[in-house]
Amino acid sequence: MNILETEGLYHDFTGLLVLFDVNLEVKEGERHAIIGPNGAGKTTLFNVITGTYSPSRGRVTFKGKEVTGWKPHKLTRVGMGRSFQITSTFSRLTTFQNIRMGILSKRRIRFNLFRKVDKMQNITEETDDVLKRINLDGERNLPASMLSYGKHRSLEISMALATDPDLVMLDEPTAGMSRDETHNAVELIRRLTEGKTMVIIEHDMDVVFSLADRITVLHLGRIVASGPPGEIRENQTVKDAYLGEVEV
Amino acid sequence: MSPTTAMYVAQAIHGLAYGMLLFLVASGLTIIFGMMGILNLAHASFFMLSGYFCYTIITLTGDFWLALLIAPVGAGICGLLVERFLLRKVHVQGHLAELLLTVGLMLVILEVVKAGWGTESMMIKMPNGLDGLISVANMTYPVYRLFVIGLSLVVLGIMALILYKTRLGMIVRAAVSDADMVSALGINTPLVFMVVFGFGTWLAGVAGVVAAPLLTVFPGMADQIGMDAFVVVVVGGFGSLIGAFVVALFLGELNAYGIQFIPRLAPVLMFAFMAIVLAFKPMGFFGERE
Amino acid sequence: MRNNLSRWIYWVVGLVILAIYPQVVGIYYTNVFVGFAIFALYAVTLNLLLGYMGVLSFGHAMFFGVGAYSTALALTHIQGFPLLPALLVGGLAGAMLALILSPLLVRVSGTAFAMLTLAFGQLIFVLALKYREVTGGEDGVGGYPTPSFNIPGVVSIDMTDQINFYYFAVAVIIVCLWVLWFYTKTPFGSLVVGVRDNAMRIDYLGFKLSHTKAVNLIVSGCFAGIAGAIYALFQNLVSTLGVLDIGTSFAPILMAYIGGLGSFFGPIVGSGILHLLEDVTFRITEQIELVNGLVFILVVLYAPMGIVGLLRQAKAKWFHKEKVS
Repeated sequence: MNILETEGLYHDFTGLLVLFDVNLEVKEGERHAIIGPNGAGKTTLFNVITGTYSPSRGRVTFKGKEVTGWKPHKLTRVGMGRSFQITSTFSRLTTFQNIRMGILSKRRIRFNLFRKVDKMQNITEETDDVLKRINLDGERNLPASMLSYGKHRSLEISMALATDPDLVMLDEPTAGMSRDETHNAVELIRRLTEGKTMVIIEHDMDVVFSLADRITVLHLGRIVASGPPGEIRENQTVKDAYLGEVEV
Repeated sequence: MSPTTAMYVAQAIHGLAYGMLLFLVASGLTIIFGMMGILNLAHASFFMLSGYFCYTIITLTGDFWLALLIAPVGAGICGLLVERFLLRKVHVQGHLAELLLTVGLMLVILEVVKAGWGTESMMIKMPNGLDGLISVANMTYPVYRLFVIGLSLVVLGIMALILYKTRLGMIVRAAVSDADMVSALGINTPLVFMVVFGFGTWLAGVAGVVAAPLLTVFPGMADQIGMDAFVVVVVGGFGSLIGAFVVALFLGELNAYGIQFIPRLAPVLMFAFMAIVLAFKPMGFFGERE
Repeated sequence: MRNNLSRWIYWVVGLVILAIYPQVVGIYYTNVFVGFAIFALYAVTLNLLLGYMGVLSFGHAMFFGVGAYSTALALTHIQGFPLLPALLVGGLAGAMLALILSPLLVRVSGTAFAMLTLAFGQLIFVLALKYREVTGGEDGVGGYPTPSFNIPGVVSIDMTDQINFYYFAVAVIIVCLWVLWFYTKTPFGSLVVGVRDNAMRIDYLGFKLSHTKAVNLIVSGCFAGIAGAIYALFQNLVSTLGVLDIGTSFAPILMAYIGGLGSFFGPIVGSGILHLLEDVTFRITEQIELVNGLVFILVVLYAPMGIVGLLRQAKAKWFHKEKVS
């Protein structure tokens, strides 16, 4: 069953067409990578799916329900999570508080005005659990802005997962990471997305081919190929459009 | 021309004169905002300061024209110093600190003026030859207001020349549309900032001297024009000179006719208008940047 | 446990000091203290927006002023209007104003927010000035009765007595401050701080950004209105220049900034410092505003984290040194 589908998705920025008839299908439980050269429209596709913009035309369906044009908070509440290419944490809050924000959302605690959040034992415990799992318990009380780059990126990814989404969309999670950091990040992603559906934008082909069950190639706003990794590796159009530039 | 038409025309010219003055003040404010991101709340204080300089120079020499030349330069130099020794130091702290600094500055200038010159209103005599009335098509009109319009046009012309014909002007225009580009081009931004701030306060200073004979010189002389200039910058679009020009003239007319027909509502309308524009177009009518 | 005990000791000592304060310092400084306390509460409500949510309200006087006017008008026109409802009217008026403006205010942030609040602040100032049949224009509303604190059959305390009013005002303000402090500690309070740091992410974590901002605005407006209501009872006169002018909007910004935006108690410290300074300045010169302006400039230049920030820094340094040696 498809957890996410887009049908005939178009998007333009004041006349400049960035997405062109995009039909994406993501099966439940699948690890789906979206690749493509810079400017292919990958992040725009993410933004349209996750509610940053409404598409100019077309439909987005999530878990069998049409969600075209829904705002991000609504999509998050029905089980979509997202991380950002440019790290977007709460910079002055501690690592703990950053993750706790996600836990509060997961527990649907929003307008609670009658208890101190520090006194909510179950929230604190669950947050600390998450911190341990992502190896950030040592940085628990450090402001996010003081974290090393690699750890800050881990926090970014983990925040998307803290709300316990069914579908998680990761926008270049390993951007700017060293080889070691990338390796750790891939392990982290593999561990945290166990049993979830994941869509990932990635430039690093090693990461793509080690993580993904299915790959969609976007070029100039269109899908030029979609299939299992082996098939994509052999696909001539893909080689011409994209992979030819990189060593596979 | 019938007396009624004459009255309408007179009001229109009144409004035009105020609108031009308002533009002189607002243009400095909007350039400074566009370039440096600073909303200078003390901007109108330089208008007032220049009015006081003008008063002192006239008391000493009796020459209005000398005052018109020197007083704005004095205000401009004060502006340069403020930028160099105060604003530049808090630039790294961000816009909030800069904004608050200008609030402090506004209070200090006001109090210094009160301490130095007292709180009474002081008359400034219009220069000879401009204090009379002129009669055109059986309608009389004070020459001085026409002079205000003419002088503003001259200043406007100078400004346009600088902005469009000089290297500095090019840098300023580039910086208003993209501040990063200027530092990328390796231009000495602090120096440009200082000059622009000084120029902006000089413009306010010119308006201050020109307005002095009309308003008289007193500590509150900049209150209305200061507030109006904010409305102009906000509605016209932060950093947009054309926007400031259009809205300044519009406000000038609104002021002239509004006071005549809806004296109670005119100021209310103005702020309501500003609020509505801000709420739906946060960067103003002509503003482009987020 | 020890922590709990020391907290109790602080509370008791603090309350005892507040209780005997008027007896020690006399009526003049008792009234100075009430003024300080009103502005402390008012400045804390501003900081809920500035320090916690990261937006500068440049027209905060509208909430304070609308609260003050509502209370004054209720007392003027409704005979026998009781004391506590008079406070509530002020708070409700502030909250209502915030509620009405919130659809517009939540759309913007940064400079646009500051300008929009400035515009609405001026709009209400001008309205109050022009519609004199309701507001009395420049003269304002004054001379209304001050109701007694009345619990039928138990007590009736005369609030025109300044010492009695001191106790009443200080008690109300302490309760309000405690409520607000608690508010910042709730899960919702942590969301508000999240809005300051990264509004977009708040939305992406499943919280509705506009609602979060609106609720915080309303809370801020409500308590600013209560501060205005206490002011109206305290002064027995409400006029545009006293409660709605731009100076009344600047004052809490100055207080919050001097005290320190990063701390709940900063604005309270700031209000204390400004009131002390005002008192000292008045002995030397009438030019209060000059001193205020200079303080503003000096704080921005040399203590951008405010007094509380400086203290924290000093404390951190001190403890750090101890550890090293």
